[in-house]
Amino acid sequence: MKQPAEAKKGKAAPKGKRNLNKERTKEKILAAALELFRENGLEGTTTKQISRKAGIAEGTLFNYFKTKEDLALFFFQKETNDLIRWYGQAARLQDAPLPEKLFAIIHRQLEYIAPYEEFIGAVFFRSLQPRSKLSPLSLESQELRLKYLRFVSDILAQAEEKKEIPPIGELGAYAVGLFYMGIVTHWLHDPSEGKQKTLALLDRSLRLGTTLLKKGGWDW
Amino acid sequence: MGLVKPKRSSLGRATRLARLGAGLTGSYLAYQLQRPFLDDREKEVRRQALGRKSARQIREDLQDLRGPIMKVGQALSMQTHLFDADVVQELAGLQMQAPPMHGSLMRAQFKGALGKYPEEVFASFEPEPFAAASLGQVHRAVTKRGEEVAVKIQYPAIREAIETDFRMLRTAGFAARLTGHLKESVIREAERGIIEETDYRIEARNLRHFATQLAPLPFVRVPRVYDDLSCERVLTMSRVRGVRLQEFLETNPPQELRDQIGTGLTRLFFFQLFRIQALHADPHPGNYLLDQDGTIGLVDFGCVKYLKSEIVRCYAQFWSREWTNDPALFAEIIHVIFGPEVSPAEPRVRRCMAEIRSFYDEFHPLDGPSRALDLADSKFMDGLNALAKTLLKNKFLAPDFLFLSRTESGMCNLLHTLQARVATTQIAREWMPPIRKTGQ
Ligand SMILES: Nc1ncnc2c1ncn2[C@@H]1O[C@H](COP(=O)(O)OP(=O)(O)OP(=O)(O)O)[C@@H](O)[C@H]1O
Ligand SMILES: [Mg+2]
Repeated sequence: MKQPAEAKKGKAAPKGKRNLNKERTKEKILAAALELFRENGLEGTTTKQISRKAGIAEGTLFNYFKTKEDLALFFFQKETNDLIRWYGQAARLQDAPLPEKLFAIIHRQLEYIAPYEEFIGAVFFRSLQPRSKLSPLSLESQELRLKYLRFVSDILAQAEEKKEIPPIGELGAYAVGLFYMGIVTHWLHDPSEGKQKTLALLDRSLRLGTTLLKKGGWDW
Repeated sequence: MGLVKPKRSSLGRATRLARLGAGLTGSYLAYQLQRPFLDDREKEVRRQALGRKSARQIREDLQDLRGPIMKVGQALSMQTHLFDADVVQELAGLQMQAPPMHGSLMRAQFKGALGKYPEEVFASFEPEPFAAASLGQVHRAVTKRGEEVAVKIQYPAIREAIETDFRMLRTAGFAARLTGHLKESVIREAERGIIEETDYRIEARNLRHFATQLAPLPFVRVPRVYDDLSCERVLTMSRVRGVRLQEFLETNPPQELRDQIGTGLTRLFFFQLFRIQALHADPHPGNYLLDQDGTIGLVDFGCVKYLKSEIVRCYAQFWSREWTNDPALFAEIIHVIFGPEVSPAEPRVRRCMAEIRSFYDEFHPLDGPSRALDLADSKFMDGLNALAKTLLKNKFLAPDFLFLSRTESGMCNLLHTLQARVATTQIAREWMPPIRKTGQ
């Protein structure tokens, strides 16, 4: 990622620049942490190691991330931003049928998280605890969640407009979100080469789902 | 986890499988129960009626289920010694077709298999498949060195789906019920064969073997495998020219060209049989790509049958007919194709052999072997079908032998559709192996 050179210390940078710097440091920390998680596992990694690897003081680290969950939340924010940016540029997909669009989106998400399987596995199950910051009920994750839901709703709305599916309203995006969680769970436990069982499941359930919707097989 | 038509739930699928099992159980059980009370002739009539009825039911049910389970039907149809002719014919009609993959799935599967996306490893790659395959689909591409290739990509997790289907098949009791005679070992054999087809590395090996072995036939083109672009689930091979039989016929090829192609196909068959002693086992018309220059492209080496040499030698006898005045040779043939416990003196054995002989004498005569047989002649096809029926009825025949005669029938059907005239006897004798093992 290309960024302007870091502002010299001590000089008060303008506010926009300060935010940019803050973002850059967060990314540096995340990259360091993800690498350490991969080597030593989530539990086997200390904050000391992370700050050393990121080249910052341990105290500074807490200014950015209070817990590993905050780190995970940042990871997913980046993931969602990447997804939305990528989809906007995927010209090939704009006219694709809905099941292929959703397949491509979820597959892109899986590809993004693939190098960090263990980390994802650990945080994913934490997110199911109601008090976790990653939980769908937590205040901290709302912004991220809304962004994702809006992104998916737009895609579903297009499909509704094109009469690919009947109007399903808000629920559709929630259903896709839940479906994604289910797919990630399957993916985490998929021992098949190249995770092909997940690919097959993803393809077939999306086709089944769309067909059912079209036939009005689901009563909303 | 079978490949379900999207609209049918797996629950429905299970129910259907169960019904399949139950239906067969029911009718076979009924048959078994009344068995002791029937005389032999009546038994035969009942058995046939039952065979036909359940055969159609099996075919319809399997057809409807699609997916790998259909492959089971195909594989079972190869076990010709287990079923009546009608059952075999019904089962052989099944053609499996994996669900189509859209571009995103195809790319994901390709990357999962080879670590990179198609556009990264090819100079160009057509995202739309140009042909369907039983386990996936085939795409046109050009390599970075500018060579035109065909890339066969398998639908994900086919093997797992097949294994699951077999498990379901067993639970549904299908295996045990289909019989009397369908043993677990047969099911296992069928499963092994299908699973083997899911590994494109085996097909790649077969392709290499046949490319070398068929080199003496300049009119046959076998694709070359690109090893660095192939693996278990992706097979990259040189694209061979030519079109399928139906398309070829639409160009209204002149008789000479039909004869040339027909002769080529026949030579190809006998060369494989007598020289390589292995058959490209799927005489499906889609597997021959015919060209206006008279050459033949041979694709699809997923299923190759290696034959025992004594079977091949005995089969050659039908073409040379030396057994007709050599009782020792006759006894040997009976031993090989009917099995050691069958006596050459048995009337049904003699009847069967007489039928074989008169068929070959009529259509593949030894006098004037260079005379061409007109395969468009429906009299020939009728004779062939009648003979096939007789053979299929005979439960003692060696399975390999039945397989061979079925492949020959498949070839003749192809030549019939092509309406070619071919000097069959002359070609058959070109590479015929010696009558007896050397030293005998
Ligand atoms: N090397 C090739 N060059 C040109 N066409 C090819 C090549 N390989 C395959 N094809 C085309 O793709 C079709 C399907 O390929 P193939 O027969 O190998 O698949 P399969 O999985 O064995 O399918 P099936 O069991 O339905 O025959 C062929 O019938 C042929 O038309
Ligand atoms: Mg084929």
